[in-house]
Amino acid sequence: MRSGKIKKRTGITQIRTSVIQIVFLITFPLLLTGCWNNRDLTEINLVAGLGLDRTEDGKVLLTVQVVEPAAIQSSSSGNEKAGGRQSKPVFVASYAGETVFDAVRGMLSIADKRMFFSTTQVLILGEKLSQDGIEEVMDFFLRDQEMDYEMIILVAKDATPEEILKIETDMDSIPAMYIKGTVENTISRGTVKKTMLIDLIKDLGSSEIQPAIGKISKAGEKAVMTDGVAVIKDGKLAGWLDPHETRGYLFIIDEIKGAIVNIPVDNGKIAIEIMRSKGKNNVAFENGEPAMLKVNVEVEANVGAFEGRGSLDSPDNLKKLEIVLEEEIKKETMMALEKCQKEFSSDIFGFGAHVHKYHPQYWKKANKDWNNIFSRLPADVQVKAKIVRTGIVKSPIKKDE
Amino acid sequence: MNGRTRKRSKSEKQSSSHNNTYTGLYGTIPETIEAVKARLDEIFSDCNDFIQREISCGKNSLIRILIAYIDGFVDKRVLNQDVVHPILDFFSNTELHEGSHIYEQLKGCVVINSDIKEANNIQRAVHGIVSGEALLFIDGEDKALIIGVKAPQGRQVEEPDTETSIRGSREGFVENLVTNMTLIRKRIKNPNLKLEMMHLGRQTKTDVCICYIKGIANEEIVREVRERLNKIKTDSILDSGIIEQYIADNRLSIFPTVGNTEKCDKLAAKLLEGRVAIFCDGTPYVLTVPYLFIESIQATDDYYDHAYFSSFMRLLRFIALFVSALLPGIYVALVCFHQTVIPFKLMITLAASRQGIPFSPFTEAVLMIVAFEFLREAGVRMPRPIGQALSIVGAIVLGEASVSAGIASNLMVIIISITAICSFVVPPLIRVTMLLRFLFLIAANFLGFLGMTFLAVAVFIHLCRLRSFGVPYMAPFSPLTVSDLKDSILVVPIWAMVTRPRSLRQENARGTKGTKRQEVTLKK
Repeated sequence: MRSGKIKKRTGITQIRTSVIQIVFLITFPLLLTGCWNNRDLTEINLVAGLGLDRTEDGKVLLTVQVVEPAAIQSSSSGNEKAGGRQSKPVFVASYAGETVFDAVRGMLSIADKRMFFSTTQVLILGEKLSQDGIEEVMDFFLRDQEMDYEMIILVAKDATPEEILKIETDMDSIPAMYIKGTVENTISRGTVKKTMLIDLIKDLGSSEIQPAIGKISKAGEKAVMTDGVAVIKDGKLAGWLDPHETRGYLFIIDEIKGAIVNIPVDNGKIAIEIMRSKGKNNVAFENGEPAMLKVNVEVEANVGAFEGRGSLDSPDNLKKLEIVLEEEIKKETMMALEKCQKEFSSDIFGFGAHVHKYHPQYWKKANKDWNNIFSRLPADVQVKAKIVRTGIVKSPIKKDE
Repeated sequence: MNGRTRKRSKSEKQSSSHNNTYTGLYGTIPETIEAVKARLDEIFSDCNDFIQREISCGKNSLIRILIAYIDGFVDKRVLNQDVVHPILDFFSNTELHEGSHIYEQLKGCVVINSDIKEANNIQRAVHGIVSGEALLFIDGEDKALIIGVKAPQGRQVEEPDTETSIRGSREGFVENLVTNMTLIRKRIKNPNLKLEMMHLGRQTKTDVCICYIKGIANEEIVREVRERLNKIKTDSILDSGIIEQYIADNRLSIFPTVGNTEKCDKLAAKLLEGRVAIFCDGTPYVLTVPYLFIESIQATDDYYDHAYFSSFMRLLRFIALFVSALLPGIYVALVCFHQTVIPFKLMITLAASRQGIPFSPFTEAVLMIVAFEFLREAGVRMPRPIGQALSIVGAIVLGEASVSAGIASNLMVIIISITAICSFVVPPLIRVTMLLRFLFLIAANFLGFLGMTFLAVAVFIHLCRLRSFGVPYMAPFSPLTVSDLKDSILVVPIWAMVTRPRSLRQENARGTKGTKRQEVTLKK
């Protein structure tokens, strides 16, 4: 038990303790980090989408899609506040500068307020810029403290970033949010990769893996389409994977959260919904040299739709179906692997990481040349599929005979 | 510190010597009725409510008796019935011998009032009179009788306005000290409940009473309370609030280190936990010490209701406390400094509501808070019937018009409203949170979260340093007293609260399970 004495402090110790306290007070918070400058929300332009491309004369063309909050608010609540004028929810502006940062600052000459990049949802890279190399322009995004590392990166195909950012859709008042939405749907689709700034920066700086970035293209006047993947090699665009190859690629890197695989059967088509997928990749070594790329995919799936005749009520039928499904998945993964090996010679799957981890000695001498070694290796793909459920009906609506 | 007390005691000496010459309150009671009368007349000159009545009785009206009292203060019916009547009866029926002791007879068997005291000097006699008792003087004696015939004064026992509860007793203390003492006795029927009376204030001579349960309350703390009360040198004690300011540990702190309550059951509970209460005549607010920070979020209902609900309410109150102090600051910091952490969609809403507002968020917040504080203060001070008008004006001007006029954003109105509501959730700290709210707002406007962190560290250091009668203010959190956490942010069921809060350092901590406690008490 503590002593029952009630302490009386004398003047001197009181002063001493308060001095110590003040010192504590000042030193500790100084170790904290934070933003120091006071600027009001009304003094910044909220950037929702960013576009980067290279002009013919080698300048960086920066395109911003800026949100007009008042217009969005009034369009959603029907409340006409901001001076009663009907304004668009976003505006798009472009500026060409020598460097990215130069373009950002130069933008101030055509915009009324400072650009605020933390709210950026998507960053769209132009095809030309990607071919010339993206490493240089990404430096600014890495260095600037205001960048959101979770912004989604896409590469535009057959359109400039400016064109894509200018598309106004009816689905969302902010086009950038719409684009982000289409990419995030990949969770149940599996035909595009969601690459965030942080992923790209990590992959760019690593020799174990090459980055792959989602592809975006125009789909008519009022819509975009995100399907497929842009393969980067050594910071430059090497080529594209189509949606099927993309899915094969995602199976390998274990990024499939859901997908629909269509299987042709004797009397129609069956759409299989992938519920769970587990992909493993490693490199088999022989005599201290890499011998084979090994891919192992385990899939659990449901029958989503059966457009044809037949019955699924016997285990044998399901077994057959599983084998067909395995073949189909294997075909897609092989397509992706082969394309990356033969055409792009770019290890976007991260086999290199495995080599680095388990065979560091070999990696030390081979990492410079890994993409070429990777391209020469034979591949072994094992797929194991299991159909768990067939939905709430056993047989299709169409009757036999 | 020493210098200060010395200075004070010097001025005290001067004024008391001044008092001495002026009133002539000291000295013995003269033996003749004329002299006493003259003396009292001199003391109570210009006091028109002072009444002296002389009764002559017995054979040849030889026995002369003087009754002195203050009109309205004593119950005249009781005075006549208990004192005057019996005396007249007695002397008209009884033969008196020469030298028989009239005084002793009166004291022993004539005056039938049960509250009779003796006054040996003028000072005591005068004090009796001004306290509402009647003075009975018999010619030829050098002492007088003081008879307690005080008329019941003040209002009835009512439900307190300031502390309401859904369950539990609705009895609240009143202005009358004796009634209050009865109310607490009624709840703790135990001779160990001690009520020590003292008089404070040179002019007012206010009755102040220290109340504690011997054997539970820490003797050190009781002694400290006694000492601090005795040290009070002032002319008047009009309310317990004045005592509070004199006896507080840190007189400059914005946090209350002396608690007050109007509810009888609450006080009883605090006494049983080992606290000391200070009653003050003339006010329904009874002080309790030591007062800890955690007490501000405790409510009597918590113990009468199921622990699930009371724990949840505690949690809410705790959150409300933080919200009411921090929310405007957090908003300003977010909007002005840390836009990066705001989610995009919320950002759009924020930016949209800020669009077209001519003031900075800080100015806006200060304007709204000040307007709200005006309203609140007006609500307290204004005559009741005007209340309606005020609330209408307040709601319309603050809520609706300021937004549609574009002076304040509607988000700010929401934030200030939430802050205001939250501040009322923890009534003992309303003023503290109000002040903190401003300070945090200013800090947020200078340095954002960084500034708020600075201030929060300062406030916490201050809180952890603070003591109330030797008990750390932040107990049971700092220093951590694990067993006391049972009644802090969460409440355990009442049957599981076996020990009293240890941080109060009771004489015996084993609590509600009676037998053990009894043993310890007896041993002492």
